[in-house]
Amino acid sequence: MISAIAYQLSTKFLEEQKCPHKCGFAHNKMSKKPAAQPTLHKVIMVGSGGVGKSALTLQFMYDEFVEDYEPTKADSYRKKVVLDGEEVQIDILDTAGQEDYAAIRDNYFRSGEGFLCVFSITEPESFDATQEFREQILRVKNDENIPFLLVGNKSDLAEKRRVPLDVCRERAQQWQVPYVETSAKTRDNVDKVFFDLMREIRSRKSDDSRATNGDVKKRKGKKIKCTIL
Amino acid sequence: MGPPPVVTGISPKEGPPGTRVTIRGEFLGTSAVDVIGLKICGCDCLLSAEWKSKNKIVARSGPCKGRGDIIVTTRSGGEGTSTVQFRGYHESIGPVKESAVWVEEAAPPSVPWGRRPMSPTAYTPPDPLGLSTEGDDCKFPEEELHEMFPDGSGKLSDDNFQPGWYLLEHHSNTSFEDLKAGMVFLQRKVEGQKEGQLTFLKANTGAVMDQLDRLVLLKNMYEEDQRKNGKEPLPSLQAAIEESITLADSLFSEILSRKENADKTREALLLLTRHKFLFQLPASIDRNIRKKEYDLVVNDYTRVKNLFGNTDVKLFQKILDEIDKKIVDLKEKLYNRMKTMPINVQEQTKYIRLLISLNWEGDAAWVAITARKDYLMNLMNKVKDHFKHKEEQESNEKGKRKSRESESEGCWSVVRMSWCGAMCGALSSELHALWPLARRYFAGELAGEPAKPERHADLKEMIIAGVELFSEHMRACLMSGGGSVSGDAMRVRLVANLRHLREAYESLLKLDLPSQPLSIVEKVIFDYRVYGMTVLLQRAHKRVKGLVDKETWKIEEFSDYGAITNLPHLLEQYMNDALSAIHKCVFSGGRRESPLFTDGSEPTAALHKHTQQILLAYVSVLENLALNHDQGFNNTSLSVALDQPLDETAPPSEGEGRNWQQRLLVAAANAHFTRRVTLANITTAYDNLTFPKPTQALQVTKEALSSLESSIAETYLEHKGDPLVGTIEPSMYMGRHTTPENASVDDARPYVYEIINNLIAVHAEVDSVSGVASARYLRDLCETVCEELARLAACAPPAASRAAAFRARLEYTLLHIACAEHLTRKAENHLMEALAGIPPLESDEDKKRMETLVDGFKKRMHLQLASLNCNMETV
Repeated sequence: MISAIAYQLSTKFLEEQKCPHKCGFAHNKMSKKPAAQPTLHKVIMVGSGGVGKSALTLQFMYDEFVEDYEPTKADSYRKKVVLDGEEVQIDILDTAGQEDYAAIRDNYFRSGEGFLCVFSITEPESFDATQEFREQILRVKNDENIPFLLVGNKSDLAEKRRVPLDVCRERAQQWQVPYVETSAKTRDNVDKVFFDLMREIRSRKSDDSRATNGDVKKRKGKKIKCTIL
Repeated sequence: MGPPPVVTGISPKEGPPGTRVTIRGEFLGTSAVDVIGLKICGCDCLLSAEWKSKNKIVARSGPCKGRGDIIVTTRSGGEGTSTVQFRGYHESIGPVKESAVWVEEAAPPSVPWGRRPMSPTAYTPPDPLGLSTEGDDCKFPEEELHEMFPDGSGKLSDDNFQPGWYLLEHHSNTSFEDLKAGMVFLQRKVEGQKEGQLTFLKANTGAVMDQLDRLVLLKNMYEEDQRKNGKEPLPSLQAAIEESITLADSLFSEILSRKENADKTREALLLLTRHKFLFQLPASIDRNIRKKEYDLVVNDYTRVKNLFGNTDVKLFQKILDEIDKKIVDLKEKLYNRMKTMPINVQEQTKYIRLLISLNWEGDAAWVAITARKDYLMNLMNKVKDHFKHKEEQESNEKGKRKSRESESEGCWSVVRMSWCGAMCGALSSELHALWPLARRYFAGELAGEPAKPERHADLKEMIIAGVELFSEHMRACLMSGGGSVSGDAMRVRLVANLRHLREAYESLLKLDLPSQPLSIVEKVIFDYRVYGMTVLLQRAHKRVKGLVDKETWKIEEFSDYGAITNLPHLLEQYMNDALSAIHKCVFSGGRRESPLFTDGSEPTAALHKHTQQILLAYVSVLENLALNHDQGFNNTSLSVALDQPLDETAPPSEGEGRNWQQRLLVAAANAHFTRRVTLANITTAYDNLTFPKPTQALQVTKEALSSLESSIAETYLEHKGDPLVGTIEPSMYMGRHTTPENASVDDARPYVYEIINNLIAVHAEVDSVSGVASARYLRDLCETVCEELARLAACAPPAASRAAAFRARLEYTLLHIACAEHLTRKAENHLMEALAGIPPLESDEDKKRMETLVDGFKKRMHLQLASLNCNMETV
């Protein structure tokens, strides 16, 4: 009887001895995991319907070119990529281009950290619409310097081009954003637009963190500006 | 197990139940059947999942609410993860809004009659604010609402109704003006309600009146109806309804039963066609077994096991049992086939594979290996018995037919040779089958189950046992029983047997067997080679022994060492025969065999031993020939002088033309020649054939030969010298010894001439036989003669007279001259001794006379002296 109790005690003791080890390890792991989770960059695709936002997204995500057109409502994609040697996660929100969904855009735009504003170089209407998107984004994000790329898609259809290159460039210049022409079909510049945008988001984030650490005034100023608007 | 599925994309990312969702990602299953689970927000959507590719699945969302992961589970990758989320929401459905309805699978509680009245909570006034919301389906995110109003609700009837929630939910996009208008509307409505029922009636007078009119109409119609159909219209209706129900039921049940029958038949037919394979399998198995297409049977069996292995259908089980029985029979059959020898490896391997694929319990390959080994052992024993039997039969027949051929051929017989061949063939062919089988077995190519490690040792033991049996039988076959055949036949068979053995060994080498069994076989070969060598040497020994009868005493040639017969040449020839046979047959080693002769090895010792035996046998042959005293010794006991003409007088039958003294000399010459030339030749032969030199044997032989030579010489001298010396004294005193005082001495006494003549006779005989070597015999003879003279001189009374002294001096001088060539120092000393006893010549006259006499002697005896002092060559 006594020996049984002694045995139980000893096993318990041993277990306890082992436990801190285990617990410590588990704890370590747990604390590590969030740290190991790569930085998340939230990208939003905007632009009129049929300009190829989903095509660009799917080409970037899955190296796949979708021929048939199916209007998007709101799609979400997320994967890990290596950005300049650093592993990050890119979250792409592919929004609806159709005007039917214009009302719900605001909600989506709020969460975005960077925007790819896409139009088709064969469709001047879509180019005109970029102006509207730009304004809506600036209104929602309330930030002139939000990472933003103007993307002229369908560059493979050069013979059907109806938006002259210099007009595009002029607009980008005016907005002070980069302008890139892509082709979701040939994958031309597809990676470039996403990576360029992620780089901007990253540098923007590091600026922000510096700002929060150091300059409180600036932040305040911003806030004041916010209220005025 | 492949990588787990990862969902990285969802389109759209939110929607009401039943939304068609495109799921994208990686490793989403290798095929449609690989996907075994799909959950969106915790709702199982596998039913609606449509697998497009490993990157894409299309499904419909379930009745879920809120945000959640999309989890794909595949057979190949297990449960997956998701980096994106889907949000499900329930749409508030207006009467004008098109919507899909998700029907709950659980049956609704049944209500016997009528519908349940709508619960008041379900009733929501379209819009209390009276604002049109059409086309304004902008959604305000539900989460945010929950965050903003943690305890609130957006439903008007709830206790915790939060107006803010309601407004945000339904009017997030309504302008402030509109809202104000709505507010006014609401206020008005509330006030209207407060005015009471009268106002209500006032407001609805028209409608109330209308209702009253209707009620009156209804009453009138009812009364009319009652009048027409009696007070109780229900029973007749009930009867009619009941009748119709029965009729309908009977109709329905009839149709139903017919349909059921048809269905059953159809089902049975369908089953038959669908499981045609199963139903036909027993027959097809039989057919295939008959056709020996076992592979087909195995494939069919595996397929049927996979398809119906764990079926619950009785019929299927029955058929499966039948099939199982057949398969068990087949297994038994295959097992027996596999075990039944002889069988070639390919076929056996095929059976093993089949057995393994039929899940035969037990280690088929191992059984096959053991069976093979047993077969090998049996085969070898059978071969042995067969040839033993044959041999006995043959010897019996021989015994009956010609009994004089008493000597059996023993281990050199043709039967043994074919036995050896058969055995070698059996061993090599069986091991050729067994070993690759074993190797494949251990490499796991055959084994259904992994080979046990102790099997390696077992296998090795088996092979060793087999090889040992082989070696035992081969030893029994080749190295026992003695027997003799002619030299050529023996050589041919030795080579043939060796070739058989080597072929077997070679083939085993090719198999890359472990070294132990190989070394056993190699040992057999080696031993057989040694045995062959020994036998060859023994034959040579025998032949050499037989030389006794071969001596013809015919002088073959005059060598430097005297006249020799062909005995030494025969010896050399026999030795060369034996050695070259050894060299040809057994000396050269095959691949991976140890060399026959190494320093200090057993075969070397045996070779040396036998060489020595052969050579010593030869010596004893010579000795027998030379010193055979029985032969004609009696008739040579006469004086040497009388012996001389023996050749002519003796009958030609005796001694083949040679008397025994000559034989002695010839034998001596043979011995000498052998010692000097033949042995050297034999040594060269050893060298040429790169055999180890039998130095010791040669040494011993040389010694034996020289002792033989000297004993021959002794005997010869004994028989020649003794009579010669014995004649000196009597002939010296023949007549009177004492010479008269003053008699003139003008010649030596005759005994001197006799001595000289005898010497010439001996010289002639010796020289004719021994040539150069003859000098030795004469020298010895002269020595004996001189000794005798000295003895006689010493014994004789001192010469009394001058004349006697003169004569003695003359005689000694003449002898000295005659024998000058053959005198040794010792002999000269004897002569001087004899001369010393004689007074010297006193006068010149005497001296002159002596010289004249000597000259005269020389002149007279010129021929004799020449013949004494020359030898054959100079003549």
